Amino acid sequence: MDQITFLLILAGGFVAGAFGALLGLGGGILLIPFLTLVVGVPMHQAIATSIIAVIATSSAGAAINLERHIVNIRLGMLLEVATVLGAILGGITANNLSSGALTKLFSILLFVVALIMLFKIRFKNNQNKVYDEGSLPGTYFDSSSGKFIHYTVKKIPATFFVSLVAGNVSGLLGVGGGIFKVPAMHILSAIPMKAATATSNFMIGVTAAASAFIYFAHGHMNPFIASTAALGVLAGSVVGIKISKKIHSNLLTWIFIIVLLGVSIQLYFR
Amino acid sequence: MNEVELKSRNKQQNTEKWVAIILKIGVWTSGLLMISGLVIAAILPSTITQFSENPSLGNLFASLFSNNINSVALMFTGLIVLMFTPILRVLMACIGFSIERDWRFMIVSLIVLLMLIGEIIYSIFI
Repeated sequence: MDQITFLLILAGGFVAGAFGALLGLGGGILLIPFLTLVVGVPMHQAIATSIIAVIATSSAGAAINLERHIVNIRLGMLLEVATVLGAILGGITANNLSSGALTKLFSILLFVVALIMLFKIRFKNNQNKVYDEGSLPGTYFDSSSGKFIHYTVKKIPATFFVSLVAGNVSGLLGVGGGIFKVPAMHILSAIPMKAATATSNFMIGVTAAASAFIYFAHGHMNPFIASTAALGVLAGSVVGIKISKKIHSNLLTWIFIIVLLGVSIQLYFR
Repeated sequence: MNEVELKSRNKQQNTEKWVAIILKIGVWTSGLLMISGLVIAAILPSTITQFSENPSLGNLFASLFSNNINSVALMFTGLIVLMFTPILRVLMACIGFSIERDWRFMIVSLIVLLMLIGEIIYSIFI
């Protein structure tokens, strides 16, 4: 790897991590198209690289969220049974698919993510929920309202099923899968957004580890690319989280939706 | 909150604390290994040794503790430490739930742990 490629991957990873954190996505959604379209990394290698970056950002973020007691560790462990199973199957499937097929599947994923983000803008701030009458109770301190929030988890089987799908997509295409799990936890299981996001992020590292070894065994981990991208994404996500407290703009999400659709079309017809 | 509930909450927070510590140690160790591998590779290109694409743990350890610095082995070790970090945190949750005597979630964590171990064994034999 020459110095220009190194700097390109480091910068690309940083931007992917920062925007991922700003928009509430992992870095993978942006990192994979960047690596394949801009740097020319083969698809399987780009997915393996993204998985490493996902483990790094999830682990670093989860450590902070655990100390703030926002993570519902029991719910996370329970849903991990689904995500890990899905991810192992996804990882095995991906390594038996051609690079072209994976690229097409990834472009469809980008399209679906763009639709979910569109849906999120329309149904934002669905705060008037009653957080009781379920199981696995959680309590955390909400710094923005200055109150302790108590909640319980409803309809666990439905969220368990969505987690299985999210885990499968994670193993197959190297993204975290939070884009599917967080809405499921919030809408189906009636978990407050903050706890849902923190618990999903907590699970993502284990989900990614569930396919990482399979990609490693197939020789898709390039130590130079994976190390550089992981460090870039990690640094970018730290900066993104800091900025996200100051930026609350739908404009950014709209721009991102258009970018996603554009990249999706470009990948599909590649 | 009565005394029994308070004790149970303290134990829960201990599990959270230990899981967080494992994650931090894993991220820092792997981050430092990857950075040192990249920096050494940039300064001393002679340390870049061609490695098999999927080196075994035995090969990696042999390269790490040989007299010649191998920057690629450092990066690979960083990646492997990172890949094992979530697995160790599942193990830690399993131990934490045992201490809390929450057998239901101890078994849940154990199932996740066994699936991950199964994945590693599968990966070794592909």
